[in-house]
Order: sequence, then structure tokens, then C-alpha cells
Amino acid sequence: MSTYVSSEQAQSVFTELFTILLDDDDFRSTLQKSRLSLHLIQHHPDMELYVTADGVQPGRPAVPAAIRMKMSCDTAHALWAGNLLMPLAVATGRVRIKGSISKVLEFVPRLQPAFDRYSEVAASHGVAA
Amino acid sequence: MNHDHAVDGFSVATRTPLFSGSDNLPEDIDLFRAAIRDFVDEHVRPRVDDNDRAPAEDMDWELVRAGHDMGLLRLVVPTEYGGLGRGVVGVAVALEEIAAACAGTALIFGATLLGQAPLLLSGDPQLQARFLPMFAGDEPVLACNAITEDAAGCDLLIPENAVHAVGVVTARRSGDHYVLIGRKRFITNARFADFGCVYANIEGHPGATGLTAFMVPLDEPGVERGPVADKMGYRACVGSELIFHDVRVPAENVVGGEGNGMLINVQQMNMARATVAAISTGVARGAFELARTFCAEREQGGAPLYQHQFTARKLAEMTAKIDASRLLYMHAAESADNQLPAPSYEPAVAKLFADRIAIEVAQEAMSVMGARGYLRSYAMEKFVRDSFGARIYEGTPEVLALAITEALYTESDDDF
Repeated sequence: MSTYVSSEQAQSVFTELFTILLDDDDFRSTLQKSRLSLHLIQHHPDMELYVTADGVQPGRPAVPAAIRMKMSCDTAHALWAGNLLMPLAVATGRVRIKGSISKVLEFVPRLQPAFDRYSEVAASHGVAA
Repeated sequence: MNHDHAVDGFSVATRTPLFSGSDNLPEDIDLFRAAIRDFVDEHVRPRVDDNDRAPAEDMDWELVRAGHDMGLLRLVVPTEYGGLGRGVVGVAVALEEIAAACAGTALIFGATLLGQAPLLLSGDPQLQARFLPMFAGDEPVLACNAITEDAAGCDLLIPENAVHAVGVVTARRSGDHYVLIGRKRFITNARFADFGCVYANIEGHPGATGLTAFMVPLDEPGVERGPVADKMGYRACVGSELIFHDVRVPAENVVGGEGNGMLINVQQMNMARATVAAISTGVARGAFELARTFCAEREQGGAPLYQHQFTARKLAEMTAKIDASRLLYMHAAESADNQLPAPSYEPAVAKLFADRIAIEVAQEAMSVMGARGYLRSYAMEKFVRDSFGARIYEGTPEVLALAITEALYTESDDDF
């Protein structure tokens, strides 16, 4: 059984998570400085988010984002909950990324605030640990 | 290189106008390549011959320092840590330029970048902050990637072989540390590196099924820099053994989690192979440049050699191979720069082709120079010796063939 019961639930959790990240000066300034945009594509259940320094929008962006990340919602849960390491997730293909990898490598370490807050955010939207 | 030693009035070329395969590069990469070419002309070419003839254990620190000043030891280090933040394309372009003069010198820098790659792949800000800033200091710092062992080469590269690996360096958990025991072999830069990415098998796992990547400062008690390999080519870089006598490594130095070393190494290799293909392309180009100049200056039958049909055919075949090789490695490098997991197919194809044509072009280039190609003073024989090097490291043709055919028979779900 999937961790997420609906697309709406996943949308709520990950919108809030990336909104928290955008409150982090380091994360936001990295997006601004490098003009980075992220298109997060998750499946089972399906959900898409578009993240820029200006905010988080649901759905597919009108123009291709600089970085696209694709994974299942179960993988996303394991990743953000700290049960799956990013290099392992990438190496096994559970997380697939397209876009400038040198920018991704600068951007990934700045996701730390999301790891710290994920469990709390997920629980507040009824996601089982 | 001892251009001054050339006899019979023959002078060698120092650069080539041929750069097919990179016409559409971003301007900054083009400028970067021009800067690297100047660096090669000023610092690498004048010392190629001396470094080739020096004892195997000698390292030309003046050259390393010049490369450090140029940023070659921190090409892939993110800018926030003082690096240049280049991707695989930038590294490949730089290494082809250097290898066109001296493959061994290219590998000094390439091996350091290889040792840094797991830190980048880790996405771990703590590990990165501990190890990456040292490459932007005043003094040059080398790194190494320690995987190969006496009895285990391909067994540590092919996941299906892991269970058959024998004698692998062992890591035993001891509280909040691991204790490393064993011996690595043929490790470029190990003699001088400040740290290495060391692959060891967690005790109790058969073969190398518990392979794990560790970042190991090489000044730790118990690390011994072993005997240097006296190589046929690539003599500007130093390869040696690295021996671990109960070396304690903090658990936080594990990259990618315990038992995931094979996966990390596969990623690392897939990123590195395009750059090794660039080195092979550089070797082929260096040999070709010598032959091209020779064929313009050497006359037989009242005409320069290149106007003789048989020689013209050889020159044409050589330049076609070099151009094709560059196209393949640039395509592979661009692929590796734009997706994770790093692709396996494109880099393996590029390296398979480049390694082969380096050998073919070097031998053909030597043959068109006749007796002069056989003289050390003409520098061609060094290219012939160097041309066999990349065929061995970062994946032999046999290993590459397995990676390529696996990709051929695996359905891609890369649909976004």
C-alpha cells in the first residue's frame, strides 16, 4: 500500500515542505543566484510541483524547469524521512534527475531544512510514519 | 617535450586547428579551453620529456602547482568551496588539451577529480565542508580513488562479479568507527594524496558484496604508502600501493551508506569514462599532430609525404578517427552533465572507441614517420606507450562491452 492515499495529500505535503525550504535564506538565495527552477514529478499517486525563488506552484510549468526530479511518492517519503540516502536513491535510479548536474550538486546539500521538517509536515497531513 | 632535440631540421607542431565535435560549445567553455591550451604550452610541453624520463616515484610539483594555480585540482568543486564548478564537459575539454601533450600529467589532475566525485555525489554538506575547501587553499592538494586490488580489478567494477572477489580490503565496525585492513594497488596519486576515496568490504559479507566507500585522510595512523609502479607510459603521474594497517575511519566518512560502494563506484565511473575518453582522444591527437607536421616537411620523390596517396589516406583515417572520438566523448560528457543517475551507455561507448583509436592512431602516426618515429627524441614513441594506458583504467574493453550490452538489452523508462 502506498504511503500517500491521494494526489491531493501529496500535493499538500510537498507544497508545504518546499514553502518551508523557501523560507530558508540559503536555499532561496541559491535558487535566485543560479536562476534555478525545479519541476518535481512524483507518481503513485501522481503529483507535480514547480518551485522557483518566487514560490511553489502546483502542476506542470509552462516552460521547462532547469532541474526536473522524478520519483515515486513512496521514494519521496523514504528520502525525506531519512530512510533512504540521496546518493543511493540516485544510484539505483529511484530518483531520476535531469538538468545541469553541477547545479544539482550545489542545490542538494541545501535541502537539509526539508529533511529536518518532513516528518512533522507529513504527519500534520495524515501521512503515516 | 624535447622539441629542441629534433634532428634533420624537423620541428614538431605544438597545436592543431582541428576541433570537430565542439563547435557548439558555450563560449565560456571555449575560452576555458583556450586558457588550458596556453597553460599546456607554457607549463606542460616544456617538461614532458624530463617527466617521462624521471624515476617512477618522482612527481613534478612545480607542474602540479602551476595546474593548481590554473584551478585544475578544483575543476568540479562547487564555487562556494572555492572551486570552478565545472561539469564533465569542462573536465573533458581540459583533459584532452593536456593529454595532447602528456597523458600522465592529465591523469594527475583527473585522478584527483575522481577522488572528489563521491563527495559531490554524496550531497552531504558535512562531508563536503570537511574535504572540499582544502583544494582551494594556497598549496596544491591531491586526492586519489582507491578501488583496484591485486586480486580484484573487474570484480570490484561489475556488480555481478562482487561475490567472487577475493582479498578485498576489509572494514570492521568498531563503535563509531570502522577499522580498515588490507592493500590497494595501482592507485594514481596514492603516494602523495591528502585523502582517498577508499572502497572496502564490510567484514562478514562474501567477496565484495559489502563494498563501501570511505573518505580516508591519508595521514591517519596505519596508512602506508606502498611501492610505486614502474609503468611503461603515463610516467608523469605516480601510481602506487596503498596499505591499511588497522586504520580507524569515523563512521560519518562513509559515502552513500554501508554496503552501497558498488553503486557509488558505478556512478563515479559513468561520470569519469567520458573524461578518460577525452584523454585517449588527446593522446591520439598529440600523435597525429606530430605525424601531420612531419608529413608536410618530409619530402620523398620530390613532394611532401602528405601528397603521396598512401600517406594521405593514413592521415585522413587518423583525423576522422580523432574527430569521431571527440564527438562521442562530448556527447557522453553532455549526457553525464545533464542527468542522474549518470548514463552508462554513452560514456562506455565513448571510452571503448577512444581507447581503441588512441592505439591505432599512435601506431599509424609512428609508422608514417619511419625511423624518426622510433627515436625517443621525436616524442612519438611516448604517445605509443601512453596510448595503451587508458585501455586499462576505468574499465577495460571487456568491462565496457558488458556495460554497453546491458544498456542495449535493458528497456529504458526514461520518459520525462
